[in-house]
Amino acid sequence: MDVLKKAFKKSIWVFHLSTAACNNCDIEVLELLTPRYDVERFGIKLVGSPRHADALLVCGSVNAHAKPRLLEVYRQTPKPCLVVAFGSCGCSSGIFRDSYSIVGPVDKVLREIDPDVKIVYVPGCPPKPEAMIEGIVMGLGAV
Amino acid sequence: MIKEVMKDLKGKLKGKIIDIVQPRVNRIYIRVEPKKAPEVIEYLFFKYKCKLCTATGMDMREGIEIIYHLAREDKNMIINVKTLIPYPKLEIESIGKKIPAFRWIEREINEMLGVTFIGHPDMRRLILADSFPKGKYPLRKSFKHSDVTDEDYDYERSGI
Repeated sequence: MDVLKKAFKKSIWVFHLSTAACNNCDIEVLELLTPRYDVERFGIKLVGSPRHADALLVCGSVNAHAKPRLLEVYRQTPKPCLVVAFGSCGCSSGIFRDSYSIVGPVDKVLREIDPDVKIVYVPGCPPKPEAMIEGIVMGLGAV
Repeated sequence: MIKEVMKDLKGKLKGKIIDIVQPRVNRIYIRVEPKKAPEVIEYLFFKYKCKLCTATGMDMREGIEIIYHLAREDKNMIINVKTLIPYPKLEIESIGKKIPAFRWIEREINEMLGVTFIGHPDMRRLILADSFPKGKYPLRKSFKHSDVTDEDYDYERSGI
């Protein structure tokens, strides 16, 4: 656990990944960067590559087309990392659960390759920006 | 104006269609056999200057019904050409062979409902994932979501 505490001591850099989301959650992520919420004052920053990220922010019910991409991005993220399943779809596949192309929510897909993955669930359609900040903070508190 | 069109089409398409009705003021339904469908649609498209809006496929349990929606804008009306392809041999001559506008919608009907379009020049997947199992058609009435599980997907084909 000491390694985890050390890894998450400083600013959290987040890579935002959309796996078959309806785009509403992605718009809401943008809201976090506006002056009203401005998460960069906490050091939470969106980065362009998963190799630079401490946390993955995954929006959307994962479908068959996005699953290999999600696994590949997770492989490229340096461990230890935190995964945030964002929105109702990320937490449980939401209303698309019984659709023909859905292969499961984020946690089910990621646990296939890493059973110990640390996942924070932020439900909502879309979640409020406050909820997302709280989700990341809670995730950090858990490690 | 639509009465003239009805009269004209009745004369020109005699023997090629099953029936022709006018349910509403700006709409004509034409029912044809699958074998005669390309001929009728090509007549409407080239000679009658109709435009393709879209085509829809639907599982009617006894077969797949394809409706071609054609619009004639200057006369302000829509002509729907319906054709029912009975199970189990779901085959129809491709119209995209001659008219490129039909190609994409024929690809979509092919992968979602399993209708074979004979002579289509480019029959790749359009909207389903590349890893989706072959021979499963999600918009048929007999399809259940449990028919396709995670093990059925071939992720080798997904390009990563």
